[in-house]
Amino acid sequence: MQSAVAVSNLTKTYGKVAAVSEVSFTMEPNKIYGLLGRNGAGKTTIMHMITAQLFPTSGELRVFGEAPYENANVLSQICFIKEGQKYPDLFRISDVLDVAGGCFKNWDNEYAYSLVEEFRLPLKRRMKKLSRGMLSSVGIIIGLASRAPLTLFDEPYLGLDAVARSLFYNRLIEDYAEHPRTIVLSTHLIDEVSQLLEHVMVIDKGRLILNEESEMLRGRALTVIGSAAAVESFAAGKEMIEREAFGSLMKSTVMGGIDEDEIRRARALGLETTAVSLQQLIVHLTNGNSERGAVRL
Amino acid sequence: MNAMTGIFKIHLKYKNYWFTLPWCILLLNFSINWTIGYFFEEEFYTGGLSSIYVYIFIMGTILLHQTFPFAIGLSIRRTDYYWGTAAISVIVTLLSSILLMPLSIIETKFTEGWGVSLHYFNLPYLSDGSILEQMWISFVLLLFFFYLGFVTASVHRRYGKIGLLLLSVAAFLASSLGIFLMSYYKWWGSLFTSMADLSAFQIASWTFPITLILAGISYLLLRRSTV
Repeated sequence: MQSAVAVSNLTKTYGKVAAVSEVSFTMEPNKIYGLLGRNGAGKTTIMHMITAQLFPTSGELRVFGEAPYENANVLSQICFIKEGQKYPDLFRISDVLDVAGGCFKNWDNEYAYSLVEEFRLPLKRRMKKLSRGMLSSVGIIIGLASRAPLTLFDEPYLGLDAVARSLFYNRLIEDYAEHPRTIVLSTHLIDEVSQLLEHVMVIDKGRLILNEESEMLRGRALTVIGSAAAVESFAAGKEMIEREAFGSLMKSTVMGGIDEDEIRRARALGLETTAVSLQQLIVHLTNGNSERGAVRL
Repeated sequence: MNAMTGIFKIHLKYKNYWFTLPWCILLLNFSINWTIGYFFEEEFYTGGLSSIYVYIFIMGTILLHQTFPFAIGLSIRRTDYYWGTAAISVIVTLLSSILLMPLSIIETKFTEGWGVSLHYFNLPYLSDGSILEQMWISFVLLLFFFYLGFVTASVHRRYGKIGLLLLSVAAFLASSLGIFLMSYYKWWGSLFTSMADLSAFQIASWTFPITLILAGISYLLLRRSTV
């Protein structure tokens, strides 16, 4: 099957600083990807290159099988919603939606206006008068209503309250179910979106350190609680990414080689087991101490 | 196809800035000059017409700054943005030069300077020549000033503030050197004599290839611009 995005050895350097170095991955069509990582890790740079808004220093880049730069065939299938998007000062929300409607061939105007109602946006207000949250909402509406085969959201929720964020997640998953497409979500709020993501990529210091199906990833780590001795015995030979002792009890998160048998073994030792949140995993992977590579996982 | 629809939609939102505003300024300026002319007995010449040229220059600089990042953000190709904008600029300058024409005719042929001997739309030298020649003069000059602004903004887009600064320093040095050489070799006299032999039509026509070069430069710059 034709991949939506295929990147190999993608590199972007500014002088001596490498913002993105030697990143390779492919994204399949009709899946939701999470592009996670800390601030300045290179997520935004990668998305800018995929959408040909920025030029790679070196490496191969294919979107729907073709190079995206000045390629009408590819660009017409992409919608990139970014946090720092500039709008003409004199444009009102209605103008922006009108122009966006002219740009994307799958645009659903009715849907866009229903979202305007839901996000409670003032249609006639000028873009430069909007609050941060309203600007984010406009971006989200364009991203959803454009129904582009490749839709990228870069930190789309800045300034949005919890209600609006969950509205976004709900509409995204609903519309995705009806109109499958490749969606890339770059975000800090990992726990909020972890249920949406089918595949997770973690970028740290310009490198891809994790590239895995969410389901697989969740099975990779386990938190066990019980007597210190039992925990130590269970964790022996495994990588412990977190440990906390309270009295004679101990809580520990271990990683690697977790399967049904291991869980049964933990229970036999009298330990309580809980799944690890994606956020905990990512925090561990990107906390700066870890020299872990994607391969070692 | 979609991209062109998008870029035209963007520019149509600017119709007041392309048309209404410059003409309001021009006509407001005209009414002030007319009022002054009303109180004076003598023939009255004014350079108020230049406001439309200054305006289109500013339009060239601001337009790119305002619309380019937005268009690219909506997945419009740089090439499509460029040609869409070029098409609009030609249409606007052509329409403006067609609109200026009857005003010039009314001024000279029918009203003797709007009843107050005012020379506003029809100026000696600049408005010499046939109707078509006059229209051509306004058209190429408007287009020249638009692209002068547009190429400046393209340099800014491509190389940022530092690029623009270096360009202005280079332009300043080049013109200083030019003036120095002209004075040193005493070329000013012959320059003015040969300029005086040229009609406004000829001089304006000479801006046209320069406009094409500016347009070409801005195309190359925008093709490599990021947002």
